[in-house]
Amino acid sequence: MEKKYWQSIEETNPDYTPQKEESNSSTIEILTDDTNVKSTSRRDFLKWCGISFFSATVISACENPVKKAIPYLHQPETLTPGKANWYASSFVDGNRFCSVLVKSRDGRPIKIEGNDLCTFTGGGTNAIAQASVLSLYDDGARYKYPAKKGEKIGWEIADEQIKKALREAGEKGKKCYLLTPTLLSQSTKELINSLKAKYPALEFVSWDAVGYEAIREAHLTAFGRAAIPDYRFDKASLIVSFSADFLATWVAPVSFANRYAKTRKISESNPAMSRHIHFEAGMSVTGSNADERVPVKPSTELDIIMELYNEMAALTGNPVFSSPASGYDTKALAEEILAHKGKSIIVCGHNNLQAQILINAINLMAESYGNTLDNRKTLNMGQGNQEAMAQMIEQMEQGNAELVMFYKSNPLYNYPNADRLKSALANVPMSVSFATAKDETAKECTFILPDNHYLESWGEAMPVWGTHSLMQPVMQPVFNTRQFQSTLLAWLDKDTDYHAYIKEYAEKALFPRQTRYPDFQQFWINTLQAGILETDEVFAFDARLQSGVVSDAVAQLKTQTANTAQVQFMVHENVAMADGSYANNPWLQELPDPVTKIAWDNFAAVSPAFAEEHNLKDGDIINFNSVEVPMIIQPGQAMDTISLALGYGRTFAGKSADKVGVNAFRLLTGSAFLWDVATWQKTGSGHQFARTQTHHSMEGRPIVRESTLDKYKQSPNAGNEIREYHLKHMSTLYPEHTYEGHHWVLMVDLNACNGCSTCVIACQAENNTPVVGKDEVRRRRIMHWMRIDRYYTGEKENPGVVYMPLMCQHCDAAPCENVCPVSATNHSHEGINQMAYNRCVGTKYCINNCPYKVRRFNWFRYAMNDRFDYNMNSELGRMVLNPDVTVRERGVVEKCSFCIQRIQDAKLKAKNERRKLKDGDVVPACMGACPSKALVFGDINDPDSKVARLIKDPRNYHLLEEFHTLPTVGYLTKIRNKKG
Amino acid sequence: MKKNQQISGKTWLKSTKLLPLSAFLAMVTIMLFTLNSVLATDQPETDEVMDTTEVITDEPAEQTEQQEEAQPEEAAEEVSPYVRGEYTTQQIRRGERLFHGLAPFGSGLHDCASCHYTQPQKEINWNPAAIEMARLWEQDPGYSIMDIMNNPVSMRLMEDHAGMTITAEEQHLLEAYYTQLLEKGPGELKAYPIRAAIFWGLGFLMLLAIVDLIITRKIPFKGVHIFILFIGIAVHGQFAMAEAQRLGRTQDYAPDQPIKFSHLIHAEENEIDCQYCHFTADFSATANFPSNNVCMNCHNVVRTGTLSGAFEINKIHRAADNDEPIEWIRVHKLPDHSFFSHAQHVNAGKLDCAECHGQVETMHIVRQVEDLSMGWCLTCHREHEVDFFDNPYFQIYERLHEKIKNGEINGVTAAELGGEDCMSCHY
Repeated sequence: MEKKYWQSIEETNPDYTPQKEESNSSTIEILTDDTNVKSTSRRDFLKWCGISFFSATVISACENPVKKAIPYLHQPETLTPGKANWYASSFVDGNRFCSVLVKSRDGRPIKIEGNDLCTFTGGGTNAIAQASVLSLYDDGARYKYPAKKGEKIGWEIADEQIKKALREAGEKGKKCYLLTPTLLSQSTKELINSLKAKYPALEFVSWDAVGYEAIREAHLTAFGRAAIPDYRFDKASLIVSFSADFLATWVAPVSFANRYAKTRKISESNPAMSRHIHFEAGMSVTGSNADERVPVKPSTELDIIMELYNEMAALTGNPVFSSPASGYDTKALAEEILAHKGKSIIVCGHNNLQAQILINAINLMAESYGNTLDNRKTLNMGQGNQEAMAQMIEQMEQGNAELVMFYKSNPLYNYPNADRLKSALANVPMSVSFATAKDETAKECTFILPDNHYLESWGEAMPVWGTHSLMQPVMQPVFNTRQFQSTLLAWLDKDTDYHAYIKEYAEKALFPRQTRYPDFQQFWINTLQAGILETDEVFAFDARLQSGVVSDAVAQLKTQTANTAQVQFMVHENVAMADGSYANNPWLQELPDPVTKIAWDNFAAVSPAFAEEHNLKDGDIINFNSVEVPMIIQPGQAMDTISLALGYGRTFAGKSADKVGVNAFRLLTGSAFLWDVATWQKTGSGHQFARTQTHHSMEGRPIVRESTLDKYKQSPNAGNEIREYHLKHMSTLYPEHTYEGHHWVLMVDLNACNGCSTCVIACQAENNTPVVGKDEVRRRRIMHWMRIDRYYTGEKENPGVVYMPLMCQHCDAAPCENVCPVSATNHSHEGINQMAYNRCVGTKYCINNCPYKVRRFNWFRYAMNDRFDYNMNSELGRMVLNPDVTVRERGVVEKCSFCIQRIQDAKLKAKNERRKLKDGDVVPACMGACPSKALVFGDINDPDSKVARLIKDPRNYHLLEEFHTLPTVGYLTKIRNKKG
Repeated sequence: MKKNQQISGKTWLKSTKLLPLSAFLAMVTIMLFTLNSVLATDQPETDEVMDTTEVITDEPAEQTEQQEEAQPEEAAEEVSPYVRGEYTTQQIRRGERLFHGLAPFGSGLHDCASCHYTQPQKEINWNPAAIEMARLWEQDPGYSIMDIMNNPVSMRLMEDHAGMTITAEEQHLLEAYYTQLLEKGPGELKAYPIRAAIFWGLGFLMLLAIVDLIITRKIPFKGVHIFILFIGIAVHGQFAMAEAQRLGRTQDYAPDQPIKFSHLIHAEENEIDCQYCHFTADFSATANFPSNNVCMNCHNVVRTGTLSGAFEINKIHRAADNDEPIEWIRVHKLPDHSFFSHAQHVNAGKLDCAECHGQVETMHIVRQVEDLSMGWCLTCHREHEVDFFDNPYFQIYERLHEKIKNGEINGVTAAELGGEDCMSCHY
């Protein structure tokens, strides 16, 4: 007999019939029974007395707090309360560079934007530059005063003691070391040189945790000049990359993404785009954008480079050297490169001298130099020197070092052999760290002389010859910190005002190089305002190959690839963590990796076939080279390879960074990125990732529509044919909206978007989106208003990857609006699906009814809550909040507003200036941050606007159009330049 | 059901003999509470003192115990017993009596309290309050009441304090009183004394009625009890409702400001434009409180006010000297989730300040005239026509322009252009 569940004892009676209606009416009866109403008992009456008395008492006791308004004593002319100021500055950190505009409200910087005047970066930014403003307010991790062995100390006393050590080291015949990453600042280098002149014992060592010195050295070996050419992807019609993740992390990703996108945007009038072939082991952002991606083992990659060289040499009549067979059709590739002579570019991400020499030779045969590789205005990145670093450690070990100083470098975390360095450091009597915030190296140093954050500093940088970018402070130092350069000036017994120094430097070095301003003061003010000065300075080299270089390189490379292990691993930077410097930035920690969509973790990626062979599944922890890492199955990963992101596993960086992930630097023994896996095994334990997208397939629905270039040339709506069908079948019962004035539309060019996720951070910074932490992300409660969906197409071992930025679609027939019981979400006169937080009662019906899943629910109060101990839980951290956007309370739904505050601001500006709103006046945060300019926002009621043109493009489609939601966000189909 | 309830009610009452006791206790508590709240605010006392104890003596008294030039040799003898900072409770008491005129001054002059309040007031009194003078005295070790009284420097001081002098002993006593004032702080202002009396009085009456109705049964007519209780509930309910509606709104809020600044003097009599001081209203979201240097534009020259003499204006100068900005009390404030822009309304909307702020130029103390509720905002959005014809921004509304041409409509209100959209104010 079937098992029956019952709720009350009556139900067990076989004659029992449930009397739902009766019981319902009986409950109502209690309320409507007139005997009850008439006989308000004394107790009820007393209750009424009490209620009226106490509600009156309680309510009148709710006093409005007295709020004070404190004006300035002397209001600065430039500062208007309630209005933002913008300052041009530069984000410079080692090799990383971005010319930026800083938005400052009431004296505090709150948002970073790209500087359109900088032709090098093209006005874009990246996630790290976007998030850098948050590090300014990191009061948990920032050093707040100069200290000696943890004790507070005065600047003068510290200066005296260090100066004494610098002097005495020379007398004792010992060395002092200053370790810095690549310095893009010419004035800082000049300053270090004068310091060296004053203290001859001082040695200057440049070292990058993730370096590009092999490229520089390869040019020295091959062409006789240590330089890195500027990579002009915008001039290329064929791009071949060997593990160079140039769209996300490699050398100058902001500039490269901008240039790359220029060759990827196509229109009916100009149906031409570059072709991108990518060789790599793990799936990188750049690789996932390639037209043809070849997953290969790192050693095979080097074999391919050798073979490609030989094939090209054979075709161009250059000497050929024997090399191992790679198994890839390099002949066809060589022919293709030569077919694009002068318009191809070959790049290699391996920090391997021999490989880079061969790449130089290949580029030379492809006639890239002078065309796609600028050998006059060369890059300044990659000045690190591994050998000098090794020598320094040796000297330290031998006790020859009196003083070691660390500027913007944290080798105790990211030097491959950090333990050796640590014991060597113990041998040095005095050490100094200039760290801005907590790091592993500063912890071990005698002195901590905290440097200013870049938003509190003066400075200058020259990322590429002929482009000077100025850095100016946007606020007074928050803590008792002093700029590194000012400290150097103090040691030179000079005035510590670096502003005066840099002004003097500009007068001497920059002012004579321009002719626009005859007066220096005028020049200085205007250049500072622009942030950028472009001059005709060059650092050129002749692309003429030295003899014997290639044969040596091939010979050495052959031995390197000859005896490699079956399983190899690669480490790489990712868009958020880079070399680990920004690990304590909760925005970056919570940024899902563009490819795997994992936040708050790094992981060992293996291929599906490898996982199947060894019976592995997502989250299994494996132990390789005696490090335990959780693994994931990554479609497109090369067989027998493991790749792992750098920058995680910090131990002394702050509450957001510590103990998150695994320190991949620990696995290395040198600067190269290719390593053998000596041993590996499954540990048996598992790990749960914080993953924001667990479903990877579009289930056969045309969510992301793509086509190939050939098909596009034949028919401009290739891949988008289904749209016609949908348009024909559109009908609705609801009245349609009319838009008398503006009708805002956002267009996303899927061909230009490379998935770098800069927009996600920009949106978070602009809209006060909270960080929720690993646990909450695991529960799928991430609050990002926009996300980048990533889908795989094709076979598992080498799938095609498509990215789709997804924000609120602002549907004209919005499903969310119809179900809101309190009309908290409704439609505006300008086509915006608006959300009134104070009206929302948190039913979440709208979330359930949204087919795009772009609405977010505030499960908790994320601000001022110890459970979410991120930036919003500290007085200083909340300074970054945008005062133009409400901080949402618990229990309300939120979502993308098209940056309504910016729309309102632009409209008001136009009204006050008594003019029509121009196209381009409104720039939402995502659009402004995008290095590829993949997003375009505007008013389609303005027939001259860009969006009005783009929405008519045959490539345009709307997501899930068949639901007749009429989204105002449009997507342009992705076109791939595939053969066949 | 009905019976059940009544029975249970009665039995409960009978079984709990504690009721009379608890009622008595509650009564005592309420009385104590009322008494306490009255005592906590010393304002009525002060007022009383001021009204009743005016000592009028016209005895001219030339004081000889002057500290400085007058008779320095005597001063040295006389001043030494009165060391600043050392006061006995006896002296404090005497100082207070002196200030309030309960003990006459040696010179027979007016008591201080006839002109100076002890605490800042709801209604304006242009003379400095005792607490303010006490603060000044506390900040400045060289501050001497005697000097000011005996040798007034400004016109106002001279006129108002003509013939008033005090002795070193009296100064010492007044200083003693100052210390007490400083210790006690400004105290709280009693908000609505009449309403409070009604509230508590009715509460007390209701309690009595209930007690009599259930236990004592002295009054045979139940109608009396019921009348009292119904009136009580109604009045309390009305209070509750009024307060609930006002919750978060501050209509009629007119706080005392750190400087007795009169908009009437500045905006009406001297005809200074609103935007001379609140200049950012034209181009920024917020209408600024003028910074000190703006005040100084005039008050560098204008050192004495018509009403308050130099005392209030000195505060601006002192703020500049001490590098301490003036902490004004904000009157008009919207909740954080409303993004109101002055520039939008003043510049683009061409609204007059008075439309939202009332006739500020007629007020000594600024009072919030409108309730600044959302309904009030929306009413204006629905009624107010925008600058549709002159401002080229509105040219994009082609269809509406056409309708006007055809005579279908006369003008366009803000609401018709999206002025009712949630996200025009809340984002």
